[in-house]
Amino acid sequence: MDTPTCGAHRPVTLPRGPRKSPSYRRTDLARYVGLAALTIAAIGPLLLLMVWSASREWFFPALLPQRWSVDGWQWLFQGGERIAVAVRNSVLLGIADGVIGCAIAFPIGRAMSRLTGWRRYAAAAAVFSPVAAPPIALGIGLQYFLLRIGVGGSVVGVLLAHLVPTVGYLSLFFLSVFVAFDRRVEDEARTLGASSRQVLFRITLPMMRRQLMEAVAIGFLISWAQYALTLTVGGGAVHTLPLEVFSYMRAGSGNYAASAALVMIVPPLLALAAARYAAGRTVVSPV
Amino acid sequence: MSHDDASETKPGRPAALRVRDVAAGFGDQPGLRAISFEVKDAERFVIVGPSGAGKTTLLRAIAGLIPVSRGHVEIAGSDRTHLVAERRDAVYLHQTPVLFPHLDVFENVAFPLRVRGVATPEIHDRVARVLDSVQLGSFATRRPHALSGGQRHRVALARAIIARPAVLLLDEPLSSLDPALRSDVREVILDIARTYRPALVIVTHDLDDAAFMGNRIGVLLDGRLEQIATPAELFTHPASLPIARLLAISNEVCGVIERERVFCSPLGEMRLTSDMPSGNGVMVFRADAVQLIPESASAVQCTGVVVELHHRPQQTTLRVRVESARGTTLIEAAIDSMQALAIGSVVGLSVDPRRVSVFSQP
Amino acid sequence: MTDAGHRRTVALLGAALVATPVLLGVAYAAAGAVGMTGVAATGFSLGRLSHVLAEHTVWRSVFWSIVVAAVATALSVTAAACAATMFSGRRIVDRIARALAVAPLAVPYVVAGALGLLILGQSGFLARLAYAWGFIASPNDMPAVVYDTRGVGVILTLAWKEFPFLALVAFSLIAARGAALEETAHTLGAGRWATLSRVTWPLLWRGLLPAATAVFIFSMGNYEAAALLAPSDPLPLPMLTLERYDALELSQRTDAYVLTLLGLLIAIVAVGVHEWTRRRAELIDR
Repeated sequence: MDTPTCGAHRPVTLPRGPRKSPSYRRTDLARYVGLAALTIAAIGPLLLLMVWSASREWFFPALLPQRWSVDGWQWLFQGGERIAVAVRNSVLLGIADGVIGCAIAFPIGRAMSRLTGWRRYAAAAAVFSPVAAPPIALGIGLQYFLLRIGVGGSVVGVLLAHLVPTVGYLSLFFLSVFVAFDRRVEDEARTLGASSRQVLFRITLPMMRRQLMEAVAIGFLISWAQYALTLTVGGGAVHTLPLEVFSYMRAGSGNYAASAALVMIVPPLLALAAARYAAGRTVVSPV
Repeated sequence: MSHDDASETKPGRPAALRVRDVAAGFGDQPGLRAISFEVKDAERFVIVGPSGAGKTTLLRAIAGLIPVSRGHVEIAGSDRTHLVAERRDAVYLHQTPVLFPHLDVFENVAFPLRVRGVATPEIHDRVARVLDSVQLGSFATRRPHALSGGQRHRVALARAIIARPAVLLLDEPLSSLDPALRSDVREVILDIARTYRPALVIVTHDLDDAAFMGNRIGVLLDGRLEQIATPAELFTHPASLPIARLLAISNEVCGVIERERVFCSPLGEMRLTSDMPSGNGVMVFRADAVQLIPESASAVQCTGVVVELHHRPQQTTLRVRVESARGTTLIEAAIDSMQALAIGSVVGLSVDPRRVSVFSQP
Repeated sequence: MTDAGHRRTVALLGAALVATPVLLGVAYAAAGAVGMTGVAATGFSLGRLSHVLAEHTVWRSVFWSIVVAAVATALSVTAAACAATMFSGRRIVDRIARALAVAPLAVPYVVAGALGLLILGQSGFLARLAYAWGFIASPNDMPAVVYDTRGVGVILTLAWKEFPFLALVAFSLIAARGAALEETAHTLGAGRWATLSRVTWPLLWRGLLPAATAVFIFSMGNYEAAALLAPSDPLPLPMLTLERYDALELSQRTDAYVLTLLGLLIAIVAVGVHEWTRRRAELIDR
């Protein structure tokens, strides 16, 4: 699976460090070495991608390209049918995957939160299995059935395939959301005369607006990064951005691959920034 | 109140804990200003105060968990103000017991010995003995999550005492317990104090616990240690009106201090034991300073009507409305539960002048 | 049935529904593996199954994938635990470090693979730096970590890719646990090192174990990063599976079903392990 992974089953408090004893406020050399390493690991690759996407000739041993060009970017935006379709497919698949996955996983996660003891672990294991299954194996296993219902090699078939791990992951996400959710609010609304429908639309969903948005974002990202399922189920007929990055890497067109890769990391970075912005409170999200 | 004598320690030996002129606290913590006190070996010093007074800050500063901005903390005769927590020989226990969740009871209690490099056979020996002393001998292999609240407290106390620290700092040790367990854990604390004789500093907001556990009580108000006294002194003679109010002393009667050391109030005139400037004043006394006597008795200072009667767990109290030319006031008094008094009865009151405190109130 | 019992059944059915595609995949792959379905269907036969399971190449692939994923996971867990203990404070440096650590979160595997190639290749950026500083004279002097039989390039790339997620989990574990346990350790006489080794790290390790298991599963099952960086012998298991699936020779298709089944079964076992580690971690957190 291709995303910020699991562990979302527990509500994650975005870190605000605990108070440390002042006696340990040593300004270690180790801390600065660590900070430098983190900086390089986080920012270095991004810079490299930028430089690479703007290069035309960049041969060993040059540290910077011998010739610069905007080819990579021009290709991305005006490169013709194939790349345009790939971008469009990626975006549409991501949105559909996020919204539909959220709609399916919400009631499942909610129902699971009522389970206790071994039943909850069993249910969690069940919904985690499509997340854990190797995408290539899952794709090969699903391809037959998707062909049988007539959506093999189509965008719809790919969407259905993407939904498999997404629904699993988001069910775990909503499980943790509902475990942390104080159900007494719903009880209170009930005793005040609201029907269960009214409770859902007037209380529960509004209270969870942020988590629902997070869920859609996670679903989008799972689909956005998906490679192997698209490859096997799409059978080469459905193009998405990850497939383009891969094939241009293989073909040695680094600048094309780099510009597409840069575009690919924009949504995750935006999602992370949004989650950080919303933080300070408890955030139930690995993003 | 128990009275094991703390003064048995040899004269000349330094106090187990001496806090000199300490100021601490920063950011969101309540600040402490110029705190000084001493606690001897085996003495039990209780600090009371309202929430936000800085009680926890004080304990944490002594333990070395937060820095002091001024002053000194001396433990067993040496200045440890600038030592890290693990080298202070003072153990701090959090309000709710903090047990290491990945270690069983035995290893939790063994922890201080392990980090001191004590040999394993000796550890087994000592842990077994300490666990027995808190009646947890058969729980050695339990994990913390499988313990009850009272058991967790016992483990935390056993673990704190096993390395024989000079000072034991307990932060609200009973507040997280329900009433049935409180007295149980209170006895364990007193037991440990008698057996191992550390200098014990206990912070609490519960006055009953303070009176029960402390040889001496310090009152912390607004970052200052306002009074240090034995429970007997403190509850009869609080040093100031805010302290009296903190101690929730039942009766507070307003009046006027006149020349000739006389306090005039709805209760009548009372001679003061010391000189006070004339002007408005407040008289404070406990419910047990009031004696109810027949209306006609000669010692009667004033009379009143019983308006409320409360049969409480440990005593029966009543409220008497006293009306006089100087105004009306309600007085609370404790009585024998068998005394036949009903709401509406008229009674005579006598207040023992040695057991009142009067403060001027400009 | 009682209301509660009814709800329970619905919840379990919902969870089973989510797992259905995996079970379908297992069923289909199992059928294909014994020749009952697929383009190469020849009727029931265990011949191909036993042939594949006896194949040295297959077990080399499985073993290689497990070792590479395990080493990558171990590296990022260690790094995440160090980062979390080093930068758990409230100072600005700590916050910056935490933000930097989680920044590459959700970088897709394919991008990670591309970066691995760009940085670690024999004429990659590291090689250029090495040349600029005079360590090497030509790309051939650079140790080959990409397409390397030992999988060093894959390991480093996967470790980098998974580090932010594990770091995020580690940061939140430490933040949620607060300072009370460490304070207690100090006040009981444990120094900095004893506290780290006896309290902080054991707890962090137990808390990180479920996330680490998940990361291991994902690293092992990933195709694209491995495909960009792995050697052709041994092939990572997902690559071997796809190679046989796309092969022209029909008997190899049957092999692909066996390998698919193998991959799914390994994942199912790993899911069991994951739930078990989660239960253990939650028991401690109670």
